Amino acid sequence: MFDTIFTSVESALVVSLLLTPVISGLLVTVFKRKRIIETTTIISSFLILIQGLFLLTSILEKKSIIIFDGIFYLDSLSAIMIITISLVGFLSSLYSVNYMGRQYDKLIVDRKKLVRYYQGFNMFLFTMLLVPVSNNLGIMWIAIEATTLVSVLLIMLYTKQSSIEASWKYLLIATVGLSLALFGIIFFYYANSVYDNSFNSIHGMDWTNMAENAPQFDPNLVKFAFIFILVGFGTKAGLAPMHTWLPDAHSEAPSPISALLSGVLLNCAFYGLLRFHIISSRSIGSEFSNTLLIILGIISLGIAATSIYFQKDVKRMLAFSSVEHMGIISASIGFGIFLGIYGALLHVINHAVVKSLLFFSSGSISQKYQTKSIADTSGIIKTMPITGFMFLIGGLAIIGMPPFNIFMSKFLMLSSGFSSENFLASALVILFLLIIFASFGKHLLHMVFGNPKSKMEKGDLGKLSILPMVILVSVIFIMGIYVPEPLQILIEDASKIILVGGANS
Amino acid sequence: MFDLPTQIDLLHVSAVILLIATFGIVVRRGFSDLLHAYRYQTIILAGVVALIAFVTGIWELYIVSALTLGIKAIIIPKVLFYVTKKLDSPIKLEMNPYVSLRISVIVSALLVTMSYFTALQLPISSDDTISVFLPVSFSLFFIGLFIIISRRKALSQIVGLLTIENGLFLFAVVVTHGFSLIIEIGLMADILVGVIISSILLFRMSQTFDSIDIKNLESLRDD
Repeated sequence: MFDTIFTSVESALVVSLLLTPVISGLLVTVFKRKRIIETTTIISSFLILIQGLFLLTSILEKKSIIIFDGIFYLDSLSAIMIITISLVGFLSSLYSVNYMGRQYDKLIVDRKKLVRYYQGFNMFLFTMLLVPVSNNLGIMWIAIEATTLVSVLLIMLYTKQSSIEASWKYLLIATVGLSLALFGIIFFYYANSVYDNSFNSIHGMDWTNMAENAPQFDPNLVKFAFIFILVGFGTKAGLAPMHTWLPDAHSEAPSPISALLSGVLLNCAFYGLLRFHIISSRSIGSEFSNTLLIILGIISLGIAATSIYFQKDVKRMLAFSSVEHMGIISASIGFGIFLGIYGALLHVINHAVVKSLLFFSSGSISQKYQTKSIADTSGIIKTMPITGFMFLIGGLAIIGMPPFNIFMSKFLMLSSGFSSENFLASALVILFLLIIFASFGKHLLHMVFGNPKSKMEKGDLGKLSILPMVILVSVIFIMGIYVPEPLQILIEDASKIILVGGANS
Repeated sequence: MFDLPTQIDLLHVSAVILLIATFGIVVRRGFSDLLHAYRYQTIILAGVVALIAFVTGIWELYIVSALTLGIKAIIIPKVLFYVTKKLDSPIKLEMNPYVSLRISVIVSALLVTMSYFTALQLPISSDDTISVFLPVSFSLFFIGLFIIISRRKALSQIVGLLTIENGLFLFAVVVTHGFSLIIEIGLMADILVGVIISSILLFRMSQTFDSIDIKNLESLRDD
């Protein structure tokens, strides 16, 4: 299964994928002119997207790539992550030009902060890309911890009281959570080192090595370790009840960063969780971790449902909706059959696309209305027709209306719940989804179609803010009708990787 | 070279000293006292790592011990001392924590007991260093967590976080006997950057709120 394939093309691709954001970050530091740093970031994130697509094709062909003596390991699961990171990253860099440009014109940020923003943006992409390509799970942990640090810097770009509060909570809770995850990783490493006599400490923490040795691990130790991993990475992935930092951090960040945090970073942490889910399934069967994933998923859905119902702030509502969708993904993986896992991985991509559309449009909306309150934002379709339309599409998609993409993955998830005979869990999921549908829908209709409170100048906020939204809406429509063939194969391969873990034990 | 019983005694004694140093953090009120206590704890931790290196004969651990001494016992306290000196607020001590210091000591003692109990339950085969230091590393973790939730000043919370990090570090060294040096260096770098970022946050806090009391940080909520 883990054939060592060394090809110079792929190793060059992976290295340049990681180096592009670093170089672009350096260029931003050197040049400091507004126009130049914007263009550099757009070009570099576009290059990342292209390189990601090339990597995707070679992964489709070879299934798994191991390069540089096992430092980097890529399979279909990593490819899904890389493609979501690079797509949302590119669109977010496009949107940043308009959004941060406006903040700059309104003197909310000065030039120094703008430079810091783009430095942070590039480093954020770098740390997130490092997560899915590293084979060594310790390095993966370091990368995830680094994403926390970089994103804290981006959230505290504004010196408002609320952003200080949000970044402090985020830093503290995420760091404590992740230290639990490291405890778990070390337990797994220990289980590996006990079993393997010809053990060498450099490769002992590699995913390939651990997955291979997993069936021989001590079952009690694996259970204990997986709970640490679940709480640790679950905190960072925004699973309730460890989600308390999430609404603060995601709502206080600049909107392009909120899109990256909600759409991509949560998935990166969940990716870490998935890797250990596979190892634990190979070792003790998938039932243990599946049950835990379902429980956390249902709790997340429940908490998100009540919080969305009583929500007064647009961005906090979107943040809680991220908690909901991480819950859906987690429960869907936990149902443990091919259909559900396929749906979950599809949902990872769908959620990333829709949530970034919503954060982009709500960013423009709150810039126009100068408020984030739901009650004060009404009649968007009259004041800013195009953005309002985009926001409507995004809102309808996120609550699972057909014919948009999230309907497909939610449907797959529910049917897998019933066919794997998790009736109670599926019934609860339906209940919570209905509550969210009603309350999110109510807020959405009020915001889009209500009467504008005061006389406002009609008009959208410039082409560069519209363009990324248009791209996202077309992706939503296409993915709602059919999943393109290569993507379908990719997700199928990735689902098999997760599923085989369970079947082999 | 010592004979085996002496080695085990040495391990036990060093574990006890490390625990006492941790209690030193729990009972401190003033910011600079707190940082001194943290520094002592970290120096002892570095010594413990060197001792483990000596007992197990793994030379990499000497480097790790030196790194701990350099980064965690010298650079990080220096950064935090600088921050406390520059803070605007005149009151530089933990005024009235959520849990009084006297009760804190009792709670910490209970946490240590709990750690020993938890460590006994674990299916980890007992090699000498593991059986001595596993409960200690858990104690450090729990006490750090307790400091974070029981203190009102942001600086005390940072020290709590660093105590957790020390516990984690001890755990990693003891259980894995030093995984590859790259990861250790990455860990240290993460901690260092984390401390620098939280120092910037401390500055911002004292500028905007005139204090680093976390009671100011309760405005973001859903009600």
